[in-house]
Amino acid sequence: MVPQTEGTLRWEAAHVGAEEAVQGTGAFIYWNAPMRDGDVEAQIAVVDRIASGNYKGLVLAPDQALALVTPVRRAVARGIPVVIIASPLDVPPGGNLFYVVNDDAVGGRIAAERVAEALHGSGSVAILGVDPDFAGILERVRIFESVLAARYPHISVIEKRLGSPNAAHEQQVAQETIDEHPHLDMIVAMNGSSIDGALSALSSEPSSRHILLVGFDTDNPANIDNPHVVCIIQEDTRSMGRDAVRAILDKLDGRPVQPQTLIPPVVITRSNLNSAQVVRMWSQDWTLGRMQWSRLP
Amino acid sequence: MTSVLHFCRRRSASLFAGLFGLALAVCAIVALLAWRRSPRRGLPYHDSFAAGKADEWKAFGGTWELADGGIRNDSDERGAKLVTGSPWWRNYTIEADVYLLGVSGDAGLLIRSSKEEEGVNAYSGYYAGVRTSDNSLVLGRADHGWQEETQRYPVANGIHPFQWYHLKLVAVGCEIAVSVGTTAQHDQTAFGISDPQCIASGRAGLRSYSSGSIWRNVFVRPATHQDIVEMLRKGSSHEPLLANTSEALSPNSPEALRDLEREQGLDAPVDRNVGNTRAQSIHSLLLASSAKPVRAMVRGVVVLTTPRLYVQDSSGGMYVSQYSGPPLRVGDDVEVRGEVHPGNFSSRMDHSAVQLLWGRSPVPPLSVTALQASTGRYDSTFIELHGLLTAKSRGPNDKLILDLNDGSQSFRAILNPGRSGALLSKLQLNSLLRLRGICVSDPSLTHNLTPFVLLLPSNEDLDVISGPPWWSTGHILALGISTALLAIISVILYHRIVDWRLRAILDERSRLAHEMHDTLAQSFAGIGFQLQAISNGVPKYMSQLHEQVELARDLVRHSHEEARRSIATLRAEALESEDVLGALEHCARRMVGNHMVVVATETQGDRRQIPLRTKDTLFRIGQEAVANAIRHAESSRISLRMVWADDKVTLYIEDDGIGFDPGSTSSGFGIRGMRRRAHAIAATLHIVSRAGAGASVWIEAPLPPRVTLASWPRILWKSMMEAWRHARTARTIGSHLYRG
Repeated sequence: MVPQTEGTLRWEAAHVGAEEAVQGTGAFIYWNAPMRDGDVEAQIAVVDRIASGNYKGLVLAPDQALALVTPVRRAVARGIPVVIIASPLDVPPGGNLFYVVNDDAVGGRIAAERVAEALHGSGSVAILGVDPDFAGILERVRIFESVLAARYPHISVIEKRLGSPNAAHEQQVAQETIDEHPHLDMIVAMNGSSIDGALSALSSEPSSRHILLVGFDTDNPANIDNPHVVCIIQEDTRSMGRDAVRAILDKLDGRPVQPQTLIPPVVITRSNLNSAQVVRMWSQDWTLGRMQWSRLP
Repeated sequence: MTSVLHFCRRRSASLFAGLFGLALAVCAIVALLAWRRSPRRGLPYHDSFAAGKADEWKAFGGTWELADGGIRNDSDERGAKLVTGSPWWRNYTIEADVYLLGVSGDAGLLIRSSKEEEGVNAYSGYYAGVRTSDNSLVLGRADHGWQEETQRYPVANGIHPFQWYHLKLVAVGCEIAVSVGTTAQHDQTAFGISDPQCIASGRAGLRSYSSGSIWRNVFVRPATHQDIVEMLRKGSSHEPLLANTSEALSPNSPEALRDLEREQGLDAPVDRNVGNTRAQSIHSLLLASSAKPVRAMVRGVVVLTTPRLYVQDSSGGMYVSQYSGPPLRVGDDVEVRGEVHPGNFSSRMDHSAVQLLWGRSPVPPLSVTALQASTGRYDSTFIELHGLLTAKSRGPNDKLILDLNDGSQSFRAILNPGRSGALLSKLQLNSLLRLRGICVSDPSLTHNLTPFVLLLPSNEDLDVISGPPWWSTGHILALGISTALLAIISVILYHRIVDWRLRAILDERSRLAHEMHDTLAQSFAGIGFQLQAISNGVPKYMSQLHEQVELARDLVRHSHEEARRSIATLRAEALESEDVLGALEHCARRMVGNHMVVVATETQGDRRQIPLRTKDTLFRIGQEAVANAIRHAESSRISLRMVWADDKVTLYIEDDGIGFDPGSTSSGFGIRGMRRRAHAIAATLHIVSRAGAGASVWIEAPLPPRVTLASWPRILWKSMMEAWRHARTARTIGSHLYRG
């Protein structure tokens, strides 16, 4: 299983989901990922190593929609079932290639509805963190804009900026956007780093107290308590990890597997932050997995 | 019989010696394996960081360099590891002083680590560290995935960056315990776990997560259960954890910088939107006035900290000298304010104040060619390029200097001392390298010898893409020597095999001789006695019957003699223990039997050891000649003479019999056989005879030359040619050569 990176809330949750799926099956999860966000080269190296190793399946959260196509094709050609999670590649599913991905169309629609609700149907929006490396982000941006245009004509998208996994860069971009558009009402941050960058810029700019934020996929639950935040639309990586591993096990057992499964995102607000659904989604409870230790007296 | 016993005894002795040697070898291998797998091999261990040595450590991610008497990882990568020791270490403790360089993340120690790869949790083992985000002591297990003890163990007074902590991790059986304290007072907070399906053994290591860190005083020692009990007892007191302030701080130490940071208020939450001054792009500083100093502010990412601080943004890079600010790591996002000095290709900023904005991952290098780098366009920028290593040396301050070529361009790469020690010996000239570093065109570094130099941040920024081509002088020499050795071994083996085959034939002949002696010869004797008895019993008047019985007795006697001669020619034990002449004399006397023939022998020259094949051939030819002299020549004297020279031996067989015509067809078969045998050992056969004047047969066989340092190539060549010629002859002639 190769997530985009490790040690973050989203991807550790995916690992918990995967461990949950293999519980009692005798299967073992090999878990490795690049040591930093956006390190496509390192991710390709891990995928190639797995494809040439003695593994029965591969679950991959690609760091880049295009660059991972060839390594994934190589793995599929070797007869390894591959499940793509989070954001799709630029190839359709089929054969030994399956998708268990975030339903970005739903995410985009929810974002448009929440923005409209917060702005009461009128205002200006800046979209930050548009990262073309992720097909899912482009999809959610497209749906978001089309829903706004169709249903809320008085809400206009006045700025759209490219993004990256680099929070410092995102903060700079947010700062420039706020400076250039003093009457901006809403920021829609398309990924975790753009949420961090935008909140950092908003927090240090007294004149931007009125600006609200709807964001996607944070790794920091504390962001939800930030007064600028309307909601965070979070991909359910735990369910993705679980369903992806189950798809591999089903495929290996000869059971039918859906070529594509869409996992709806979860909307997190201050009011449901401690709800069972959100707590479960972010749970790091390893008792499901292999840890059976006890504390020494 | 004696020689058979002797041969058997010798075989047994060889077999015993062989078995003894084999047993010794097996014991040595077992002992070596046992030593390698010993859980105490290499223990206790103490690092040599202060002495500038860390060759025994292996890095998995991170940028590891020796600094301030410890080892420092400047990278914010998640899960950078550095491991050492034996994978068979079982019950031991690792302890070290740990210093966090980042405001978020953690750093600590690994125990029982194995299967390490690059990756956040890509290893099997236990990790314990101090974490700033929740001020806690962390303990968990990685199996290519992280499982952490869920209960938090907060450390009194919290965990702060830029402060030394003493961390200790013990593993005994399936119990793992960890403690943290100050450098003055260890084990102030401690806890342990029992893991029933524990990882039993592995290496020790250092690891950081999302934060740079420094480690020093790394000790690894064998541990017992008592160590865990003691640690938990001390740690349960939960005395307040106070930072150790008693240590003297060097001006450049992290502690000193930390104090500086405090003085400047840099440890307070950072305002990431400093002032109203707009940050300039680094490239735009080149347009600053060179007539009067201009102050400017830039934002960028740290790409190198030692020996110089370089900062880079999307437009380019610059050198920051005489700066004040917090300890920096590669990858930090910083804001730099200072006095701009534009250069030809990049700028330098003096009297700078550096403020840390974000800690983040290092920027990737720009991939360029040496030709592109030599234009100055990438001056002060983090680049990656390839080069062919042409020379390596140590420069001032023990820095590693590599001279490289890429196409038409030459350049130098400079690496700080410390972990470069192992690299210097490992790198082979003419290897193709991939290097990542800061491209600097500053003449104070290039000395105008190359258009630029590359300052490498760490060992991990140098990869060997391919080694030198195999046809180097050394390799060709090695190939030549190997070929020569192989040829020598082949020749020796060939001769050995021929000897073994010959010995087998001799053994078989000997067995046949014994068989004939015990059956055929005895039967002939018995028949002779029976015929004698018949003859005695037949009345004298039956003269015709007497004549017929007497004829039968003559035939039996003749056959008996023939059989005895055959036995004599087949017996070869003599060759094993005697020289050719002695064996031939022995054989001739047996063949002569009751005949009145004198056998005389004579040796001239110094006798030498000769190959068994030559010995056998001389013996067989001599035997044939002696047999001819006895059977056909009616001779009264047979003379056997052996003449030894430096390079040859000659065997003469002369008789005073009736002689023969060597060219006649009746004598052809025996002589043809003798000639074939002589040819097989590159010997020459001479036969001189005249009717009524006896016969002289002599054979000149070459002797192996005496081996000297100067003569061995010639000898080897000659031996190979001889072996080849012999193999060809043997193929042509077939196996009948040794049929007698």
